[in-house]
Amino acid sequence: MVKIVVESLYFRYPEASDYALRNISFRIVEGESVAILGENGAGKTTLAKNLNGLLKPTEGSVKIDGVDTRNLSVAKIARKIGFVNHNPEHQFFAEKVEDEVRFGLRNFGFSEEAADKTIREVLNVFGLEEYRGKNPFQLSGGEKKRLAIASIMAWRPEALIVDEPTIGMDYAQKLNIRRVLRSIVSEGRCVIVITHDVDFAASICERAIILSRGEVIGDGRLRDLLSDDTLVEKASLRKPFLIELEKETGLTGLEEDFDAISSTLVEVFQKCRS
Amino acid sequence: MSFLRAFKYRRKDTAVHRLDPRSKFLLSTILMAVSIVFTDIRVLLALVFGQIILLSLAESLREWLSSLRGLLFFFAVIFATQLLFGGTLYTGFILSLRLLALSSSMSWFFLSSTPEDIGRAMSVAGLPIELTFSFTMAIRFIPVIYDEFQSIYDTQRSRGLELEKGGFRNRIRNLMPVLIPLLVGTIRRTYEIADAMEVRAFGASPKRTTFKPLRLKSGDYLVCAASAILVALAAYLKLLGIE
Ligand SMILES: Nc1ncnc2c1ncn2[C@@H]1O[C@H](COP(=O)(O)OP(=O)(O)O)[C@@H](O)[C@H]1O
Ligand SMILES: [Mg+2]
Repeated sequence: MVKIVVESLYFRYPEASDYALRNISFRIVEGESVAILGENGAGKTTLAKNLNGLLKPTEGSVKIDGVDTRNLSVAKIARKIGFVNHNPEHQFFAEKVEDEVRFGLRNFGFSEEAADKTIREVLNVFGLEEYRGKNPFQLSGGEKKRLAIASIMAWRPEALIVDEPTIGMDYAQKLNIRRVLRSIVSEGRCVIVITHDVDFAASICERAIILSRGEVIGDGRLRDLLSDDTLVEKASLRKPFLIELEKETGLTGLEEDFDAISSTLVEVFQKCRS
Repeated sequence: MSFLRAFKYRRKDTAVHRLDPRSKFLLSTILMAVSIVFTDIRVLLALVFGQIILLSLAESLREWLSSLRGLLFFFAVIFATQLLFGGTLYTGFILSLRLLALSSSMSWFFLSSTPEDIGRAMSVAGLPIELTFSFTMAIRFIPVIYDEFQSIYDTQRSRGLELEKGGFRNRIRNLMPVLIPLLVGTIRRTYEIADAMEVRAFGASPKRTTFKPLRLKSGDYLVCAASAILVALAAYLKLLGIE
């Protein structure tokens, strides 16, 4: 299983005068679910691109299973670590949903037979089989997102990085994406979620790495970090609603019943009003 | 691509930036013309030297210098063709110097004028607003489209696309996953911009007023006078028999 080790990583864009990432060190081991949190422009996407070799460190190193990313091609890393761009429309080019999934499989040398079988399975898992022959651009926002994730998960990378999965998603779409990501976590794969949606992150990830202005200001159990007032404020975040609720009520495992709780709460509020 | 940096506008507040785009355009064109008609090393050196002064007045020497590295490639091409086709090292040097003078004369102009300024100078010169507006929009959107290209390329590389792999035909085919999303995005943006312009009544009235009318100031008269002197000087040198 995959292991990512980041050591004293500094990164500067070629034309920028300042570092976008400064002195970042952490390791992510197999099966971990990690949220990378932080305000806009904190450097989350830049960090993600350093993890999968799209960007190479200016100083320091990123090692995948012991090998420096400078010595690996992006394709080699991508086979192990999938990366889903925040904008699914930046990847669609095929006429049909199934061919969109086939693209990655072909690049990684799957036989046509194996690809056909995989496409069927993955579209099924992601609830997209009815759109198999449809044009990807005609899908809804949530379906596009799921297709983007599906087209990467198809080759079964050991780790998956998703950039801003909830951007522009409505509540039902978010639940769907959450379900998909949680099932990937439960398979023992590593999932790295980049977001500033704390509730979403809390419902998927055990661990959080909090970035602010290019530096790591917190790394540890998500629940602990997001209960820390100063840290939460410094990162321009907010405490996750469910964790607050659990603290107040002394109950645990509430997020399993998230939908039930939110509808109950709506009822309670309505009663209070009237 | 790095030499393009010498032509990208940087927001700065210098005497050169504040000049009217029309007078800058005049001087830039004349400098360009002079660089083309002379091959005398003294003239070309004087041109380059004069433009270095202009660039330093515009606080843009650094951008210009960093673009020189990109020009090196073209210098190499010039020397190679000269040596291949019967020229000498000296002619190679002269031609490179001329290219430097030429590109510098455009460089300081573009570095110190906003796309809007250039567009306005064009419409004052009598070009229709549809044309000048398209021109400034096109320049405006180059960085946006470039960013989008970068994001798309990164995304497809993360899906195992390797542009460098395979023969010529394969490489062309490999471009499709990058070009199609870029094209779709650009066309979509075009419609959005058209709508945004229409709701703000672009083209509704044939007569447009200007928020910032162009006005020639004393610096501009100086620049125009300098341009005139430059033309006279060039003519005089030609009469003296200097090529
Ligand atoms: N291609 C680029 N060139 C130069 N600077 C960039 C580029 N991409 C991002 N940046 C800068 O790096 C910083 C971090 O950006 P990013 O990683 O996109 O943040 P986040 O994903 O957390 O919103 C920002 O200040 C941004 O302006
Ligand atoms: Mg980002």
